[in-house]
Amino acid sequence: MTKTILAVDDSGSLRQMLSFSLKAAGYGVIEAVDGEDGLNKARQQTVDLVLTDQNMPGMDGLSLIRALRAMKNYKTVPILMLTTESGDDMKAMGRAAGANGWLVKPFDPARLAEVVKKLIG
Amino acid sequence: MLSREPQPGDMMNAQVIRLLSGVSVHGDQHLAEVERDLVQMDLLLSEAIKKLCASFLAIHRAVDLQQETLKGILSAEQPAPDQAARLEALREEIGQHVGAAVTGLQFQDMTSQLIGRMVQHLAGLRDVFGELGTNGSTALPESGSVEMLDRLNHISDRVGARCSELAGAVRSTVNQRHMESGDIELF
Repeated sequence: MTKTILAVDDSGSLRQMLSFSLKAAGYGVIEAVDGEDGLNKARQQTVDLVLTDQNMPGMDGLSLIRALRAMKNYKTVPILMLTTESGDDMKAMGRAAGANGWLVKPFDPARLAEVVKKLIG
Repeated sequence: MLSREPQPGDMMNAQVIRLLSGVSVHGDQHLAEVERDLVQMDLLLSEAIKKLCASFLAIHRAVDLQQETLKGILSAEQPAPDQAARLEALREEIGQHVGAAVTGLQFQDMTSQLIGRMVQHLAGLRDVFGELGTNGSTALPESGSVEMLDRLNHISDRVGARCSELAGAVRSTVNQRHMESGDIELF
């Protein structure tokens, strides 16, 4: 069965590239334009992995992760942060919020697919 | 009512006010131009990336179909081993270019964040110029050197405070200086 990934990013071009890369690697993709949208879509359907940006209007990535981790069905779902931020303090905050990994933009599709495969097969 | 006698420094104060007002107006005009250009640049980059992404996806679809067609033709015609190997090598080469293009096409996400930050800083600078102008919230006195110094000090403090506010509110979120793929860390 195809695994589904929720891709949350306010940049349309980034979402397009994410969707393209993940679909080419064999995954299904649901797109969300910000944290709030991501949370709504995660409530509608439990996905296999969440990939989120940090800096978005409204709800940011860290807040989204905290909200997801508070939900029963997202306690163990892998969540990756994909962001331009690369500071150790932000990574520590991501880890404390419940992220499973930190990817600094721009991403390479092959390396992204490897990481996703490692986490959800 | 007693009127104050004109003091020797009054003319100097009037000149300072005029000069600061000029700096304020012209500085604000320059910044407004820069702000307009940045907004226009952001729009153009946004439009360009939409077209680039659409073209990229269309080219990729077409190349995929072409490869499938060639594979079909070659499999029906018992190709020479070197033809099949050449087709496979081309497929791999195309895959590498596609990967590099996907990484490169993420530029607009970063440039739009940087432009947004520049626009916020410009707005802060325009506030600073506004303080120096005659219409600023801390209008300068036309007489009295001590009052003038007090007001200038007050303006300087406000400008300093505004810079500190901006430094805190407009945090840099993009430190990338190249378009190579970023680090990956699993926790």
